[in-house]
Amino acid sequence: MPRPAPRTITFTIDGLEVQAPENAMLVDAAKHGDVEIPVFCYEPKLGQPVGACRMCLVEIEGIPKLQTGCSTPVKDGMVVHTQSERVKEAQNSVVEFLLINHPLDCPVCDKGGECPLQDITFGWGRGSSRFIEPKRHFVKPLELSPTIAIDRERCILCYRCVRFSQEISEDYQLVLQERGAHSYVATFDGRPYEAPFSGNIIELCPVGALTSRPYRFRARPWDVEDAGTVCTLCPAQCNVTLTVRDERVLRVLARQHPEVDDGWLCDRGRFAYPRLGGAERVLEPLLRDGGELRPVTWERALSEAATALKRAGARTGALAGGGTTNEEGALLAGMMREALGSPHMDSRTAGGKLPPDLQRALGDPSLQAKVSDLEFAHAVLLLDCEPIADAAILDLRLRKGVRRHGMKLVRASAADLLHEPAAGELTKTLKAAGEEIVVLWHERVTAGPEGERAARALLELAATLSLTDRENAGLLEVPAETNGRGLREAGVLPNAGPGLEDIAEEGLDAAGMADALRAGELSALYLLGVDPLERDQPQWHAALERASTVVAHALFLTEGIREHANVVFPAEAYAEKRGTIVHPDGRVQRLRPAVGHPGKTRAEARVLSDIAAAVAS
Amino acid sequence: MKLLFERIDEPGLNTLPVYEARGGYESLRKALALPPEAVLHELEASGLRGRGGAGFQMGKKVSFLPKGAMEKYLVCNADESEPGTFKDRELMQKSPHMLIEGLVIAAYAAGATRSFIYIRGEYVQQADILDAALAEARAQGYIGEDILGSGHSLSLVVHRGAGAYICGEETGLLDSLEGKRGNPRLKPPFPANQGLYQGPTLINNVETLATVPAIIRMGGEQYAKLGVETSTGTKLVSVSGHVQRPGNYEIELGISSREIIYGLAGGPPEGRKVKCWFPGGSSSPVLTGDDLDIPYDFDSLAKARSMLGSGAIIVVDESTPILDVALKVAKFYSHESCGKCTPCREGTNWTVKLLERIERGEATPMDIEIMASVQEHIIGNCLCVLGDAMAMPIGSMIAKFRDEFESHIESRRLEPVHA
Amino acid sequence: MSAVPAELRAEIEAHMALYPERRSAALPALEAAQRVHGWCSPEAIEQVAAVMDVTPAYLESVASFYDMLETTPVGRHSIYVCTNISCSLCGADELYETIHAAAGEDPEFNVRSFECLGACDIAPMASVEGVYVGPLTTADVPQLLDDVRAGRPVLPAKQLARRPVADPQANA
Repeated sequence: MPRPAPRTITFTIDGLEVQAPENAMLVDAAKHGDVEIPVFCYEPKLGQPVGACRMCLVEIEGIPKLQTGCSTPVKDGMVVHTQSERVKEAQNSVVEFLLINHPLDCPVCDKGGECPLQDITFGWGRGSSRFIEPKRHFVKPLELSPTIAIDRERCILCYRCVRFSQEISEDYQLVLQERGAHSYVATFDGRPYEAPFSGNIIELCPVGALTSRPYRFRARPWDVEDAGTVCTLCPAQCNVTLTVRDERVLRVLARQHPEVDDGWLCDRGRFAYPRLGGAERVLEPLLRDGGELRPVTWERALSEAATALKRAGARTGALAGGGTTNEEGALLAGMMREALGSPHMDSRTAGGKLPPDLQRALGDPSLQAKVSDLEFAHAVLLLDCEPIADAAILDLRLRKGVRRHGMKLVRASAADLLHEPAAGELTKTLKAAGEEIVVLWHERVTAGPEGERAARALLELAATLSLTDRENAGLLEVPAETNGRGLREAGVLPNAGPGLEDIAEEGLDAAGMADALRAGELSALYLLGVDPLERDQPQWHAALERASTVVAHALFLTEGIREHANVVFPAEAYAEKRGTIVHPDGRVQRLRPAVGHPGKTRAEARVLSDIAAAVAS
Repeated sequence: MKLLFERIDEPGLNTLPVYEARGGYESLRKALALPPEAVLHELEASGLRGRGGAGFQMGKKVSFLPKGAMEKYLVCNADESEPGTFKDRELMQKSPHMLIEGLVIAAYAAGATRSFIYIRGEYVQQADILDAALAEARAQGYIGEDILGSGHSLSLVVHRGAGAYICGEETGLLDSLEGKRGNPRLKPPFPANQGLYQGPTLINNVETLATVPAIIRMGGEQYAKLGVETSTGTKLVSVSGHVQRPGNYEIELGISSREIIYGLAGGPPEGRKVKCWFPGGSSSPVLTGDDLDIPYDFDSLAKARSMLGSGAIIVVDESTPILDVALKVAKFYSHESCGKCTPCREGTNWTVKLLERIERGEATPMDIEIMASVQEHIIGNCLCVLGDAMAMPIGSMIAKFRDEFESHIESRRLEPVHA
Repeated sequence: MSAVPAELRAEIEAHMALYPERRSAALPALEAAQRVHGWCSPEAIEQVAAVMDVTPAYLESVASFYDMLETTPVGRHSIYVCTNISCSLCGADELYETIHAAAGEDPEFNVRSFECLGACDIAPMASVEGVYVGPLTTADVPQLLDDVRAGRPVLPAKQLARRPVADPQANA
């Protein structure tokens, strides 16, 4: 469906002529003239404005009453005042009203220093209060959930958190109870608020009423630095800001990217960060010596690894994990193909080889849908894809499409594409919904013995629906691994080179490598940020057992590494990485290091280069 | 002239046979024989202004609904909860078919096919009576599919509220009818365009709709001859408080307020004088004993800086301190504030605390200044009219009875401090 | 949560069928559950939620907004005494105190001071299990409570339903 394409209009604000998109809300239009209209409840991400806090009252010539800037669309020729006596009086009074019940315990509040209530009181408040009555009291703080604390005394009842629960994540767990001045935010019967996106309410809260329990009392805003990067914990690749204090990541916040995450972050991305600096991490190179992994110098570890790999040569296999960057993937592929002469490498979880021509067809730029298309398409077909498990943040985008734009959601599996009458019915359903169709398909569609047929059927469906070059339409793959798409395009595949080019000699895929190791046809295995035992594929037990050499880059000593690796290199967590990864829709995203390398950790790229050089020499 | 109250206590009027015997549903037949535009024309010609409180022209309101084939809704506001108001209760209890008939005619004019009567939950008996009358009307073909063979259909559900004043505010009512908390909505969009279930919706008060059969019977122009120019017709007035004959009276708009308070309701008990009176429910700014000769109509009361509102006159005589009146009013609106917008939620709450401070004898004259300023900060700054509904009368009491507040503060300050 | 009583389920489903959107049945459904459970207990709310396919949190939020839906346990006989302006001008506060003193601690009763009930013509008044009675004096209180305890019609002579309109010309 058509996306809004507003024309530019001219209006006057505080005597200044300003150009802004027509029908933008006044608070947004004002920014075009560098005028700030203060808000509490307004948050465009939450949908329609509610006009509840009344902080944004402005004077518009020709309208007798003050109007809420958050809900008044700007029109050509409108004359707006935000500095008149009337407006100032209203702003002062709203701040005074809001502070009636606010405890003003800023010295011990986590929000202090990054608090909109503080800032707006400073900027638009009277500076004193005439309220001398007792404030309202609640037991505090309470655990709203294992990760979120709620302090109801600080709450200014702006509705943001309950709107998130009801209109964005649609879990309807967080609500207001009672009414009037007795209202408070709560869950049913005081039970924990447990939902996949709950942490977003912490960021939405304009006061310190909702705070992160892991971050509680850990830092003040002036103690920390922010660093922007990309979360690599799942293929959604949400943009994040890391809060860093003393070279440690204390907090993960959303960093709005309309084409990626829409400004939201899932709880896994938000709260999994303590792992990054956890005490269990591998912080120095390890070498198996007498059955035990023991710390050694980098020189020793590198030379042991290079010697073993050189000995194995073409009988080496390599697996790359989903957190591997494009650059690391390219270095790995180069080392394998050029230094070791081995074609055996894979970056995919599931086995099976998809012919390169099919891969190129499925990744054809003219056929790619973007994440924002999920919102504006007439229909989205979820093909063997469960967004909440596969790329959580897309779940919110799909809900937005359904709720705000009437997008139709259709579910099917690859088997439906391969059999009549299911396939025909599916096409009919989709065509009935409209012309703009996005097929959100998971990599598992093209895995396994039927993968190739399913891929052809998928391309056929795209052709039947004429998705090529169509607005708000196309195919969008969710890879099984975070940088699955980037690693394939970097050539970390058994049957295609960089850019998915055909190659002369095909290698073994992951499953094939396991078999070949067990049969003694391969002797060494290079594990770049992956432990095959973590993937619940039992054939790898025997394969690792038989391998004479296992070299691994690892954050933690998981079972496969602990039991079988000969050489272990300490790996970088994503907060430490520099490089690029490819988003499912093809956009390249950059990882920037937020913190330095802990212990003796070195960049994977440097280690890969060193080994390649040592093997080649 | 009695249009609504004519022989209102006739036994069995709440049943269909008695209502029909006096010509009930003849207006519906007459209306259905006309095109909807002609019915709308009669409503516009009548000049009938909404009887719920805002006083907006009913015919104009109907005409605001978009034309077209989409589903439109008619909602009857029977949430009557403005303190002092009890006229709709009397109508629904005694003449439910008059309301149903008016509602069907209005729906026909507006092109609405689904309707609801949102009745406050406390009116248990009245809701039961409406349900029984609805069943009769449905059985007789006055409502339902293809009404009296006209091709026009209308469904009606009597929906009972559960105790919240704010659901009398039309958008709060819509949210409540949708099964939510009764929070008022931001306007625009107005209900005429996006109301119930996001569809075009006409919302009318009980008395407004109950007047429709009379307008159709006598013709809009004839109806407009009753009352005064900008306040046509008859109006039910609920009179209560310090009067000798409290109750509902049907008056022609424009008669003097004194005639209602003294002539009809008997005035305060012997030997006591009117201290102040609310002309239109407890949300209207108070007038004093000096204002009794103001004609009782929309514009005259507005000119006196008050309002006709729901037509509920509450009389307070000299035996009651103004502080008691103010505290009752403020506590009510604070209790009923939905809590959605800041000035209403916090301002009503603060006002109660200030009044309680004055009552306890802990206030200084500065607290009156603060209280007056709080009212000013509420008025015009809220999401809906509830905040103003407290701030306007409280503001008027401070303005008109400041001496009394001050002398109360002073006299309490002189009292010995209790141990 | 225990199984939803069949009659309650049927009543809620009947309400849901009346509206284009099932959520509209929230108030009548909660009222029905309150009749069965005595109040909108967590269990009552979970049962309504199960039938209506909405979250219990949503319904608890709704229930807590409305004065007639009880979110704490109460006695089964409700007496709402209007203490708003018109009634209080006529002695409602004293009436409420008297009724509260006589029955406020009785677990069978739910005595509440209520906002304007829309019957200022019979001030001071009370709604006794939905039946409006007034004008009341404190002397009426023992009889009122006895009538409720005995399951008799409460103060028949003072029931609003029997009262003619005040307007003298209406029935002339």
